[in-house]
This record gives sequence, C-alpha cells and structure tokens, in this order.
Amino acid sequence: MLLELRDVSKRFGGLHAVTGLSMTVAPRTIHGLIGPNGAGKSTVFNLLTGVLPLSSGEIVFKGARVSGLRPSEICRRGIARTFQATTLFRESTVLDNVLLALQLHAATAFVSTLLGTAAYRDRERSARARARALLASLRLLDLADERAGNLPHRDQKALCLAMVLATAAELVILDEPLAGLTAQESTDTMAVLRTLRAEGKTILLVEHDMRAVMGLCDVITVLDHGVLIAEGTPRDIQANPVVIEAYLGAEESRA
Amino acid sequence: MSRRPGLSPALGFGLLAAAGVAVPVLTRDSYYLDVATTLLMNLVLTLSLRLEMSTGQLNMAHISFMGVGAYASALLVTRAGWSFWGSLAVAPLVAALVAVPVGRIALRVSGPYYFLITFAFLEVLRLFFNNFFVDYLGGPSGLVEIPRPHPLPLSGGAIGFAGKLPQYWLMYALFLLAAAVLIRLEYSRFGLVASAIRQRDLLAETLGVDIIRYKLGVFVLGSFFAGLVGVFFAHSHQVLHSSDFGLEPMVLLVVFTVIGGAQSVWGPVVGTLVLAVTSELLRELHHYEILVYGAVLMVVMLVCPEGLVSLPGRIAHALTRRRDAKAAAVGARVAP
Repeated sequence: MLLELRDVSKRFGGLHAVTGLSMTVAPRTIHGLIGPNGAGKSTVFNLLTGVLPLSSGEIVFKGARVSGLRPSEICRRGIARTFQATTLFRESTVLDNVLLALQLHAATAFVSTLLGTAAYRDRERSARARARALLASLRLLDLADERAGNLPHRDQKALCLAMVLATAAELVILDEPLAGLTAQESTDTMAVLRTLRAEGKTILLVEHDMRAVMGLCDVITVLDHGVLIAEGTPRDIQANPVVIEAYLGAEESRA
Repeated sequence: MSRRPGLSPALGFGLLAAAGVAVPVLTRDSYYLDVATTLLMNLVLTLSLRLEMSTGQLNMAHISFMGVGAYASALLVTRAGWSFWGSLAVAPLVAALVAVPVGRIALRVSGPYYFLITFAFLEVLRLFFNNFFVDYLGGPSGLVEIPRPHPLPLSGGAIGFAGKLPQYWLMYALFLLAAAVLIRLEYSRFGLVASAIRQRDLLAETLGVDIIRYKLGVFVLGSFFAGLVGVFFAHSHQVLHSSDFGLEPMVLLVVFTVIGGAQSVWGPVVGTLVLAVTSELLRELHHYEILVYGAVLMVVMLVCPEGLVSLPGRIAHALTRRRDAKAAAVGARVAP
C-alpha cells in the first residue's frame, strides 16, 4: 500500500471531525473520498498534508510514518495537494508559479546561487524546460507570462494541477478538481487524471460531482460525520444502503 | 527566473556603483562626504531590512543588530586589542549569531505579533546597551574613544583611514559587497521563494518550503549586514549611544524602505536616496525633518501604496488605458 491511515482521529475542542479512520490507498489508483458536507473530507486532507496535527492515530506513506512531520517535509516525501479554493501565487506569472513548485522542494545551495555557478545555471535551465513541458501538457503554455491571478477559473484550476505535478509527488491529493468547470472542461480534466494514473501517479480526490466520481475512481471511501461508513468500487458504493441513507438523510436535513 | 519588468539587475547595480564613484570626483567637501557616507550606511540597512520584508515580515529590531555589531566591534578593538580588520570580519558574525535565537523565538508568530515581539526586542536591547555592563558599554553617557579604522597594511605602505575620503571609500566597498549579494539574491530563486512566502505561506509550505527555516536564514543574513554597518558606524563615529539603536532611527529605516517600495529590491534604494536629498534640501528645517518624512509617507501611501518605485509602471499603465479608451471611442464612432 502506498498510503495507510491507522485509527486516525481529529478533534477540535469538543467537535469530533474525524473518528477512528483507517483506510489504505493502493498505488496507481484513483481513489475517491466522498461524503455529505461536514463529513470531514477536507480535514482528512489537512491531516494527510500536515497542515493540521492529528489528535491520535498515525499516517504511513511508503512504509514510513509521516504524521507529525511539517507540511514541507511531507511534500518532499512525495505527497502534494491542491486546495479547495484555487490557491496560487496570484501576483507571479504562470511560469513562475510552476518554477516555484518545481524548485521549492529542491535543495537550495546558497553559495552556488550567489555566484551563479555553471551548476546553478544548468539547474535553472533544466527547471525552465520542465516547467514549459508541464505547461504545454496542460495547454497553458501560451499563458506562461500572464499573471496567475488574471487567468480564467478553468486555467487557474489547471495551473494548480500543474504545480502539484511539478513537485513530482507520487501521491497527488486534489480537493474538488472539477468544481466550477463546464461539462466539457470536466471531461478534459478527467482525461488528464486518467493519463496521470497511467503514468504511475496515485490520485486521492474529493469531488461532489457524483457522476464524475463514479466514472473516474477505482475505489471510493465514504465518510459521514467523520466516520468511515463504506468503502469499495463505485458499483458497491452506489448499491450500499448505508451510503444512500447518509446522502438522503443529508438531503432531508438540508431541505 | 522568468523576466520581470523593470531595471535589469546588472544595470541597476552598475548605476549604483558608478554613482558611488562619482561622489568623491564631484566633491571633496567633508560635509558632503559625510552625507554620502551616511547615505551608503542607510542603503545597506534598508536593503537588508527589505530582504527580511520580502517574506512579508517587518522586523522592528533590525537596527538592534547594527547595535550588536557596533558594540561588539568596539569591545573587540578596545578591550581585546583586536585590529579593526579582524573585527570587521568577526563582529557582523556576532550580530548574525545573536540573530539565531532571537529569530527562532520571533518567527514562531507572524503579522502583528511578529512586529510586537521584534519591537520589544528593540527596546530590551536598547535598555541593555544603556543600563547593563556600564563599565564595558558606557551606559547612558555612551561608549567613547573608539579608534578609527586602523591603517590597512599593503605591500609598500599602508592606507590610512583618518580622513573622510578613505572612510567613504571603505563604506563604499562594504556597500558594493552588500548590494551585490542582496540584488543577486532577489533575482535568483531565493527572491522567488521569498515572494511565494509573502503571497501564500501555506501554499509555499505544502509545496515543500520549510518556511520557518527560510525566514530564519533571511533574518540572520539581514542581521549580518546590519552588524556590518554597525562596525563601520562604531569606528567612524567613534562614539556609541544606546539611542543610536532605538525606535527613532528604526522608524526612519522603515519610512525610507516603504516610501521607496518594499516589493522591489530597488524600492529601498529609491526611498533612501529621495529622502536623503529631501532632507538636504530642507536642512534649514532640521527640527521638522521627521514631520516632513511623515507627510511624505502619507502622500506616498495615498498616491502609490506600493512605493515610489511603482510609479513609472502606474503612469505607463494609466497612459495605455487612456490610449485604449481613445481607440475604443474611435472604434465606436466607426462602428455602424
């Protein structure tokens, strides 16, 4: 298993956001995490990436414990994420955003940078080439010199994805990658995600578009009130009475 | 990094270096040399303050590290019998060393809390210089009789540093060193990472930057350059008072930097130069200097909050908009 959560809990004061969650993510899969609003999905992402500390339990990635590490260290171990709201360095150019993501985790050698040594210049050149290739693969190359904050929503989403890929993380965590996209844009993004899986990436995502989740995911984990209520293939999940109950119940209470 | 609009780093640095050479060519008047030397000291202080601000934090104790460098050098030379040149190499490192624990504590918080913690440190250190180890630090009456920089032995003679001119050249050399490092860093990946941290520190962190370590590195480096200025200050003024490293000169540094624009490495250069010239033009109004600075600060914050350095870009932007508007108006008339 690539990722393993062992009895993970998170409390905010008296609120139990996640309770005793144990789940695994297999390599080279697209794994969906779903559940009604407030089920604890975003909290799980924040725990996985070290943005929030666990109350108890542990998280193991590639056989090594990552819970308790700083977010930057977790990223270097190979877990990278996007945020629910499109989160970019808005004042920087599109190319700089990707360069940042490419280099932020790289060792920064102070003296060679200062002296502008040949090694430094080589590294910069190859980073730019990789950044451009990534932008091209997501059809963003024409926008390379635009300020990221000026892009339309769809391209900002794509840029977020480009940045996560730039970190070379094996496990890519996506918080609502399809939110706010048109049907065509969703289809395009889903194709990109399938390509990534074929290239060896593992994807863990939260998404509200159920048709997309069912069509895209290999495995789905369902949370409700911070507790795992079901896990399985899309077909299993769709037929699971507990899941239907949770969603319908949520619908009723929302109405 | 991708090209950014504005001055190319090499050209900007060349202009600064040339301007520095031009001063003693144009005048040997000791008053103006003094003004120019002070200007160079302020430039190193504001450039290094801006380095720290580039990660989004205002260190109100920046000038305290100038004080650490100054007192450390004065003590090394007068008490330990060091040569000025040995002290010049070591005292800034003392300032950097002191900055490590201070930064570790202060950088646990950010925003207004960071401002307050560093402000408290500024006052604590000023009081320390003023009230503790009076036999060594001089207490309220100041630390006096600090020798001038010792002659620098060279093959076939020595350069003396008694006069204003050689002191100016010494400070010029220190300025070139600091400016080269700080401008270079700004245009390297370090500058890019700093701007990433300032814009969205959480995103930078989840993309793999150890932001605490990065901020600490910037804090220590900034303090090193403040300490370097301190060494020169101690031996050119020959007297140190705790108030030299208090709130008022610190506020001036912030004003210089902010008026020029803290977003760009050229901001502190522009701000420090503009205000130095202003203050010379208004020399008669000496007592009101700080009032004038206050007024200039308010006007700049209202007219261009990103500092004077952003002014050309804003003007160009406004002009293009007007041209576009005109073109649109013409187009509208042409359209059926």
